[in-house]
Amino acid sequence: MRFWVTLEGREAEVELHAEAGRLWLDVEGRRLEADFRRLPDGEVYSLLVNGRSHEVRVSPAGEHLEVTYGGVTFPVEARHPLEKALQAVQRARGKPAGETIVAPMPGLVVALRVRPGETVRPGQAVAVVEAMKMQNELVAREGGVVSDVLVEERATVAAGQPLLKIRPEQP
Amino acid sequence: MRPIRRVLIANRGEIAVRVIRTLRELDITSIAVFSEPDRVAYHVIMADEAYPIGPGPSRESYLNLERVLATAVRVGADAIHPGYGFFAENAAFAQACEDAGITFIGPRPATLAGLGDKLAARAAARAAGVPMVPGSVTPPATLDQARDVAKQVGYPLMLKAAAGGGGKGMRVVRDDAGLESAWSLTRGESLAAFGDDRVYIERFIERPRHVEAQILADASGRVACLGERECSVQRRHQKLLEETPSPAFDDATRARFAEAAVRVAKQVGYLNAGTVEFILDESGAFYFLEVNTRLQVEHPVTEMVTGLDLVAEQVRIAEGAPLSFGDTPPAPRGWAMEARIVAEDPLAGFMPSVGRIERVRFPQGPGVRNDAGFYRGYEVPIFYDSLLGKLVVHGPDREQARRRLARALREFVIEGVHTNLSFHRWLVAHPEFVAGNLSTRFIEEHFDPTLLGPDAAAAEVALLAAALHAREDRLRVALPGSGDGARSPWRWAERRRRAPQGKR
Repeated sequence: MRFWVTLEGREAEVELHAEAGRLWLDVEGRRLEADFRRLPDGEVYSLLVNGRSHEVRVSPAGEHLEVTYGGVTFPVEARHPLEKALQAVQRARGKPAGETIVAPMPGLVVALRVRPGETVRPGQAVAVVEAMKMQNELVAREGGVVSDVLVEERATVAAGQPLLKIRPEQP
Repeated sequence: MRPIRRVLIANRGEIAVRVIRTLRELDITSIAVFSEPDRVAYHVIMADEAYPIGPGPSRESYLNLERVLATAVRVGADAIHPGYGFFAENAAFAQACEDAGITFIGPRPATLAGLGDKLAARAAARAAGVPMVPGSVTPPATLDQARDVAKQVGYPLMLKAAAGGGGKGMRVVRDDAGLESAWSLTRGESLAAFGDDRVYIERFIERPRHVEAQILADASGRVACLGERECSVQRRHQKLLEETPSPAFDDATRARFAEAAVRVAKQVGYLNAGTVEFILDESGAFYFLEVNTRLQVEHPVTEMVTGLDLVAEQVRIAEGAPLSFGDTPPAPRGWAMEARIVAEDPLAGFMPSVGRIERVRFPQGPGVRNDAGFYRGYEVPIFYDSLLGKLVVHGPDREQARRRLARALREFVIEGVHTNLSFHRWLVAHPEFVAGNLSTRFIEEHFDPTLLGPDAAAAEVALLAAALHAREDRLRVALPGSGDGARSPWRWAERRRRAPQGKR
């Protein structure tokens, strides 16, 4: 089975074989081999690589995967070659479709810095969300014109909840 | 003496759980209070009784004085343990308890009021003959007076709000030119934040260590110092790792330090548990900072080396009983360290992380203590601070305690929310930490989040796991009768693949 894996900004094509708890993975001319078991408590694998014992958690996070290893969690993408090809096509065709500012974590909207119709520069702070007594400023990545403000100040929001929409400025 | 039989804990999280444990050992009924989102918090599950006190925001529940007190009266609590934070250092709350005939397990209301004012606390320490950072005795009333003090103290200096605390209302001034704007800014901020624009001046110590003394005082006026705690590893005035004894002290300094702390406590007629905080300059000289009139987050390290239960001592003192050890506190044995486990992501500027604890495995084995306020499946709420728990270890000496902490941190698994476990692993392995060379600037001087990222070996393991996961995902789709096949990313990919081809 073939996958494209993106990890720490590097993309690699891997070929994977697995059989009866053993795993062979060919990547960039190297072969990695491991004994694997899925642990009963969730999306956790025990891997034995050359005898070394590793415990790894892999969980879906939106369109990506998250790998937790040694107490550090980092994003990983694993895609089928066809899906990857499609992604490239979409990126090539893609026009900036505006952006949606979402809450990065559950929290309280303590400030909305913009109103509908307002022009926003890239990097401009548009909202402040507070969680655990800490305030986090959310900034617009690309900028444009605020088309929708979807929440009110003092609203409690969930992680990933859209707060406001920004459409590209008309040329 | 008035025996205490029913204690309401006006707090939540790990400290409420920790207090409940001692109450149970003392055969005292533990009474929890909880906000709406805390209905299934660990302290509620652990307690003998639990009562709701309002919505999530602290002001409407844990900081609602009338509600907390009315609950205590209604359920027949004869004492309240405030934990730390919330009402722990609130004189009005302690007074209201007294007026309602409920014992406040802590200092007297007048002591809380007196020591809450930094200038009054400094005056008391000065009267007790304890070393102070050179600075103003009274807050300068005008900029000209401030300039005169600055001339005596010298630059760099620190402007501090008299009513400030927790790192708020402080500003470093490096030269005469900076004094004017800093003077008005600090006064303005102080007025806005604390309703008090009195500001005083202190010499600024560039690389201070933070060392504090644990005090216990009973109603007969007996005061004991249970040694010191070094709390220099801080980020934005939030302590992250504490240890006892301090690697900065020799026996002679330790004795002078303990004696100074006891003098401060006696000067103010202190009652119950408290902490006298000092800072050390680069030469190792110590200066009084302030008194924390509560049980500290980091109290377990003192318990580990003395064998005492500080919460049990607090209850005894509140009953009017003498200190359990009489005039001679137990000699400390070995070394203890505590790592504060917070729900913050060290890879993302320590951004707070909330959500569900998907998986947890606590470290075990010799010399390990977990004070935790969470369990598997627990939802970390958005309303309160990010402290999840404390990992505490004890060893015969500093190096063995450090290795034990490193080992326990490696065992510790918390998944579902980001935590600072990886930060602590980095910290306890750092050569300067190993050498005991600490200061409150340790993190800004040494920490680099990129050091926590996966190394090449970790990336290889991650690659294996991710590929394995992707393969299992795909196999699930292929299984006959798999109901959620339609939502699989692979089906989705197939569908999307056809669309652009059709248009081509």
